[in-house]
Amino acid sequence: MQITYIESDGTAHTVEAKSGWSVMENAVKNGVPGILAECGGSATCGTCRIYVGPDWQARMAAPTPDELALLEYVEEERSDARLSCQIGMNEQLDGLTVHMPERQYS
Amino acid sequence: MKRFEDVDYFSDKALPDDPQPYFEYLRAQGPAARLPQRGVVAITSYDEGSAIFRNEERFSSYNAAYGPQPLPFTPEGDDITDQIESHRDGNLIFRMISTFDPPNHTRLRHLLKGLFSPKRLKENEKFMWKLADGLIDEFIDKGSFEIVSQFALPFATLVIADLLGVPEEDHKAFRKIFDSLGSVTGSVNGPSKPENNPLLKIEAYFVGYIEDRRANPRDDVLTDLALTKYPDGSLPAVKDVASLSAFLFAAGQEATVRVAASMLHILGEDRALQQRLREDRSLIGNFTEEALRMEAAVKAGFRLAKVRTTVGDLDIEPGTTLMMCIAAMNRDPGRFADPNTFDVDRKNARDHVAFGRGIHSCIGAPLARAELKVTLERLFDRMAEIGIDEARHGPADNRDYRYAPSYVVHGLTELHLAFTPAA
Repeated sequence: MQITYIESDGTAHTVEAKSGWSVMENAVKNGVPGILAECGGSATCGTCRIYVGPDWQARMAAPTPDELALLEYVEEERSDARLSCQIGMNEQLDGLTVHMPERQYS
Repeated sequence: MKRFEDVDYFSDKALPDDPQPYFEYLRAQGPAARLPQRGVVAITSYDEGSAIFRNEERFSSYNAAYGPQPLPFTPEGDDITDQIESHRDGNLIFRMISTFDPPNHTRLRHLLKGLFSPKRLKENEKFMWKLADGLIDEFIDKGSFEIVSQFALPFATLVIADLLGVPEEDHKAFRKIFDSLGSVTGSVNGPSKPENNPLLKIEAYFVGYIEDRRANPRDDVLTDLALTKYPDGSLPAVKDVASLSAFLFAAGQEATVRVAASMLHILGEDRALQQRLREDRSLIGNFTEEALRMEAAVKAGFRLAKVRTTVGDLDIEPGTTLMMCIAAMNRDPGRFADPNTFDVDRKNARDHVAFGRGIHSCIGAPLARAELKVTLERLFDRMAEIGIDEARHGPADNRDYRYAPSYVVHGLTELHLAFTPAA
């Protein structure tokens, strides 16, 4: 299983992903830059944001009200934004490609 | 010049007043350095430290608060996970959330999520503005105040009380329980007596609240807290919710209070910077991050190697204590250009690890940031000029400052400030 994380400048990082880890964990544990995850996966900091296209979003559980509230709280404006700590990796997401913001905080 | 090779970091009485030269001495030995005493390995590298913080599979938080003291067991074999888990009972210090490993840590942290939701934080911030003014009213006519005891400590205490939904009629009692910072975490004078622990009093309050709300649920934060379930749907024991709540007071106080004092210390000494922030309040956010980087309130935390591994160039045996030198990681020249200079315009100030990293990173970081912002905003609004009180700290060329006598906590024990009230 693989996930590709693309930085805002286009640099791509493809990792061998582990099922059971979140998309955030698969990034930070493989040293992918650009996902800060200050709160370690509690959905309280909003610094693991990614942008996910509609095809991939359709294969994931929709964001919970908590996730949406946090995205609003950190003033994320894009509608395709997700918190990577809230997306569990599984086989349906093999080949997932996500984009990362230029900065995780203003 | 002091010979650092002879210094025991954990008992030396002089280091807390000026720890950075010692950390620089450690950094010169590489990303990780083995201390001659107590078998501790000190981590000073930003990258190495961040990787350890994010690797809970290999590094346990069992000793996060216990530090370098001898383990209550003799490590055996290639993986000491089971030994760690079978030696938690009986000692409060191994039963705090900050010391837990997954999966128990994950379950417990889940209980806190509702408290730190954006909705709750917004409500809490409203309370902060009101509270700050009330506290400032107590000394605005005096022209001077001591920021730790007269402002920051009651402020941090009551902010957490409000966050947890403690009824206002009990706020006075909570303030009294914490009328001084009491014994310092990681004292260089040895461990303190458990019976002096104010958290036990707080825990007793929460046992009462939680039992009451479970019996008589109503529309309040304490009811939400009382009824929050573990991810598997089970209801936690009352005692566990109470001790978690009490822990939040400890976590939310000491660190925030010290950083508030550090910020005012910096601004009291550098009046031009103070003026710049007053004129452009949008700088307060990055100023706070730079203050957290330079003066992190927790200068060192601990991890325990569960398995055989390597850190930097060193081979690490299971059971080895790692000291995570946050104060050194935050000044790693590989990460921060000109790291010992306070630069309010520093672009990557917020990359600091003052709140840690990984699964144990401070869940209250957004709260602390809001508290520090409200503190500065309201002090600036109510006071025209804030300076160091020379009657208490001496003249500019010969100041007298005392720091917490601790190998964990960094910050002034007291900071007296003189001011003119705003017109």
